[in-house]
Amino acid sequence: MTILEVNNLKKVYTTRFGGSPVQALANVSFSVEEGEYAAIMGESGSGKTTLLNILASLDKPTSGEVLLKGKGLSTIKEKEISAFRRENLGFVFQDFNLLDTFSLQDNIFLPLVLSGKSYEEMSRRLEPIARKLGIGDILAKYPYEVSGGQKQRCAVARALITKPQLILADEPTGSLDSQAAEGLLRLFKEINSEGQTLLMVTHSVKAASHAQRVLFIKDGEVFHQLYKAGMSDEAMYQKISDTLTTMATGGGRHE
Amino acid sequence: MSRFFYPKLAATNLKKNAQTYLPYILTCIGTVMMYYIMVFLSENEGLGKMAGGSQVQSILSMGTYVIAIFSAIFLFYTHSFLVKRRKKEFGLFNILGMEKKHIARVLAIETLYVAGISLGAGLLGGILLSKLIFMVLLKILNFEVPLGFEVSGPALAAVLFLFAGIFLLTLLNTLRQIHLAKPVELLMGGQTGETEPKTKWLLVVMGTLSLGGGYYISLTTQSPLAALTQFFFAVLLVIVGTYCLFTAGSIAVLKLLRRNKGYYYQTRHFTAVAGMMYRMKQNAVGLANICIMATAVLVMVSTTVSLYIGMEDVLRTRYPQHIMISTPMPAQQSVEGLQTSVKEVLVKHGLEGKDRLDYRYVAFVGNQEGDRLITNLSNISDDSSSVREFYLIPLEDYNRLAKRTASLGDDEILIYSSGSKYEEDTLTVFNRTFSVKERLDSFFENSPNRVSISGSYYVVVKDMDVVKAMEEARAKENGDDPSGYRYYLGFDLEADEADISAVYQDIRTALGSDYPGSSIESPVAAKESFFAIYGGLFFLGIFLGALFIMATVLIIYYKQVSEGYDDKARFEIMQKVGMSREEVRGSIRSQVLIVFFLPLVTAGIHIAFAFPIITKLLAVLNLTNVGLFAWCTAGTILVFALFYAIVYGLTAKVYYRIVSWGTSG
Repeated sequence: MTILEVNNLKKVYTTRFGGSPVQALANVSFSVEEGEYAAIMGESGSGKTTLLNILASLDKPTSGEVLLKGKGLSTIKEKEISAFRRENLGFVFQDFNLLDTFSLQDNIFLPLVLSGKSYEEMSRRLEPIARKLGIGDILAKYPYEVSGGQKQRCAVARALITKPQLILADEPTGSLDSQAAEGLLRLFKEINSEGQTLLMVTHSVKAASHAQRVLFIKDGEVFHQLYKAGMSDEAMYQKISDTLTTMATGGGRHE
Repeated sequence: MSRFFYPKLAATNLKKNAQTYLPYILTCIGTVMMYYIMVFLSENEGLGKMAGGSQVQSILSMGTYVIAIFSAIFLFYTHSFLVKRRKKEFGLFNILGMEKKHIARVLAIETLYVAGISLGAGLLGGILLSKLIFMVLLKILNFEVPLGFEVSGPALAAVLFLFAGIFLLTLLNTLRQIHLAKPVELLMGGQTGETEPKTKWLLVVMGTLSLGGGYYISLTTQSPLAALTQFFFAVLLVIVGTYCLFTAGSIAVLKLLRRNKGYYYQTRHFTAVAGMMYRMKQNAVGLANICIMATAVLVMVSTTVSLYIGMEDVLRTRYPQHIMISTPMPAQQSVEGLQTSVKEVLVKHGLEGKDRLDYRYVAFVGNQEGDRLITNLSNISDDSSSVREFYLIPLEDYNRLAKRTASLGDDEILIYSSGSKYEEDTLTVFNRTFSVKERLDSFFENSPNRVSISGSYYVVVKDMDVVKAMEEARAKENGDDPSGYRYYLGFDLEADEADISAVYQDIRTALGSDYPGSSIESPVAAKESFFAIYGGLFFLGIFLGALFIMATVLIIYYKQVSEGYDDKARFEIMQKVGMSREEVRGSIRSQVLIVFFLPLVTAGIHIAFAFPIITKLLAVLNLTNVGLFAWCTAGTILVFALFYAIVYGLTAKVYYRIVSWGTSG
C-alpha cells in the first residue's frame, strides 16, 4: 500500500527584492510504500531540504501535490496542519532539535503532551521505545549533558512515540561521529524491520546504503533511483558511489 | 593599512549594532543631561541666595551623588550586556586575523565615538533644559523666577570628569574580557551556559524569612520614631528577600510545579513551566532590579508628591495655630505682661485672636513602662517606641479653657493622650502615683507637639503646686536646676497670610529680649522653609523617578532583545515538532507577559506592605493625612503601570520582529 505519493512537485522561490526566481524543485514525482525504507540523495542545493520541508508540511509547493495515505496535504486546513503533522509524521533532524529547556524525557513527551495524552499513557508508550533505543538511564538528563549519538536516539524516540505513518529524517547522521552514525543506521534498520516506514534525506553514501531504495535528486528533479533488493550494504555502497560519480561527471540517465 | 581604517570600522560597527547601541547611547545622553542639570542646580548661586535655597541645594546635592553612583553602575551593567552580544563579532575579527590589540584599538575608537556623541548631545540638551528645569524647580518652591541664562562651568567639569571615568572603566572592562577569552570562546560567546538551574533551598528560606521580616516590621511598627530607625532595616530585608525569591524562589516554585505530573504534563502548562524556568534563570536578577527600582520609584514619587500636595495639611499639623508662643516663667515680666504685649500688637493690626489656648505647663520626656514613667535621663532606654512627652497642666487653667468645674484630689489626674493611648488606671512618676480620674477625648487637639514622633500625654493635675513639685523632682533626679513652668499662648487669626506674617513679626519684636528662652512660631513664617524642603524633595523625587524609569525602560528593552534571539531558535524547533504557530505564539506571549509584569506586581505588593510604615514616617514629617497618601500612592502606581505597559508594548514589537513569526512557515 502506498503511504506517500508525490506528484509533479514544483517549488519556485522568489527573492524579496525582485531578483530572478530560483527554482528549487522542477518536477519531482515518486512514492513510498508502507514499510519501506527510502533515502533521497543529492548534493547541497539540489532541493533535498525543500522537498523534505514540503513533505513535512512546513512549506507549500508552487504546484503539484503530496498525498499521505491518499489525503492531500494541501487540503488540510491551516489550523489542523500542526495536529496532522504531530499525529502522522515523525521527524529526525541533523541538529537534533531538542529543546534545552526540557529533560530528554520531556523532549520525547512533547508531541504527546501537545496531543493531550496523560502522563500514564506517555510513560507506558515510552518504556518499550526507551528500552529498544537504550536511553532508559539518561532520560532524566538534559540535552547538553549527553553525547550527540544519545541526543539523536532521543530525537528518534520522540519521532517514534507518536506511532507516525512516516518518519522523515533530514541528514540524521550529519552531526554524528562514525560510530554513533553506524549505531543510528542500525537502529533505523531495526525500526524499519518492525514495519515503520522511513524516508531519509542525506548526502552520506554510507547512510543511504542502508536504505532499501535510493532516489537521486539533481537540479530539482528525480534523476535516478536504485533498489537494494538483495544486495549487501557494501555492494549498495559501491553502486551509490558509481551513480554519484556518473551524476557528477554529467552522464545521462541510465537503467 | 589606511589611517582611516580603524575609525571607519568602528563607525560601521556602531551602525551595524544600532539596534542595541542606540538605546545605550540615548541612555548615556539622558544620564549626562540629568547629571549636568542636577549639578547645575545644586551649584547655582542664584538659588543659593534665595531664602531656603541652601536647604534645597543640600537636598539636591544628595541627588547628584545618587545620580553619579547610579549612572556608573547602570551604564557599566548595560555595556556589559552589549559586549556579551558582540562577542561573536570579536571572535570573527580575531579569526580573520585581527590581533587583540587591533580589536582593542577599534573598541577604543568606538568608545570615543559613543562618549563624544553622548557628552556632546547630553551637555547640549542639559544646558538647554537646565533653564526650563530651573524654572520648574522655582515654581515648585514658590520662588521668584529670575531672568537670564547661564552655563555652569563647574557642572560641565563635573560631567566631563564623571563620564570620562565611566566610559574609561567600561572600555577597560571590555578589553579585560576580550583579553582573557580565546577566539573560539568568543565565537561561542552567545550560547554558553544553558544548564538547568539548581534549586537553592537555602536562598529560598533566606529570602522568605527576610521578606517576611521586612513586611513584619512594616506591619507591626507602631511609633513613628521607631519607624524612622526600622525603615532602613526593613528596606534592606525586602531588597535581600526580593533578590533571593526572584532568583531561587521562582525556580523552586517551578520545580515543584514540574514535579506535579498531573499539572505539568498538560499542553498549556508543559512549555510554560519549562520556558519560565529558563527565562527566570536568565533574567531573575534583572527582574529583581526592575522590581526594586519600580518600588523605589513608587515610594519616592508617592511620598514626595503627597508631602508636596499636603503642604497645607503639614503646616497645619505642625503649627496647629497661627501664632504659637511658648515662654519660660517666671520671667522678668509676668504672664499678664506677655498677654498685654500680644494684645497691643493685635489692636494695632485691628485683629482679634480666635480659639485662644493658653496655659501654664511643665514638659518632660521619659520612657513609659506600663503605668510608670522612667524619667532619669541616664536610664532612658534605646527603645524609642516607649518614649513619651509629658505635659503637666494645672486644673485651674484647664477648667478656665474648657469652661468646666472639674475638681481633682492631690493625687488625681485627667489625661489626654495623643499618638499612643494611655490605658493604665494609675500613673507613677518621680515616685508619686496618681490615679487617672478621667480620660479626656478632646480639648488639646491644637496644642503644640500634639503630633510628635513619639506619643504625647497632656496631664491635668490639681494645681500649680503639684506642677512645681514635679518639676523640682525632675531637676533633683537629673541634678540640674528646676526651670520652673512654661507658659503657652496660641491663637488663630482671621486674616490673610501677609497680615498674619506682620503680626508674627511684631509680636516677635515685642517679646524681644524681655522673654529670654521664649519662642514664637507660625505656619506662615515656616511656609518658606517648608516649601524649600518639601519642594526640594518633591523635585528630587520626580527627577530621580524619571531617571529610574529610564533605567527600567532600558533593562526591559535589552531583555526583550536578548530573549528574542534566544526564542527564535526554540520557536522554530517547537513548530517542527508539531506545535502550531498560534500555539507557540500564545505560549511565548504569555510567558513574556508574566516575566514583565511579575516585577510590577511584586512592586505593588511591596508598596502595599510598606504602606503602614511609610504613613508613620510621613507622620514624622508632619503629614498625617493617610487618605491623601493612599490616593497619591494609588495614582503613582497607576501612572507607573500605564507607563510600564506602554514601554512593554513598544519593546514587545522589537521582540516579535526578532522572533519574526513565519520565517519557517
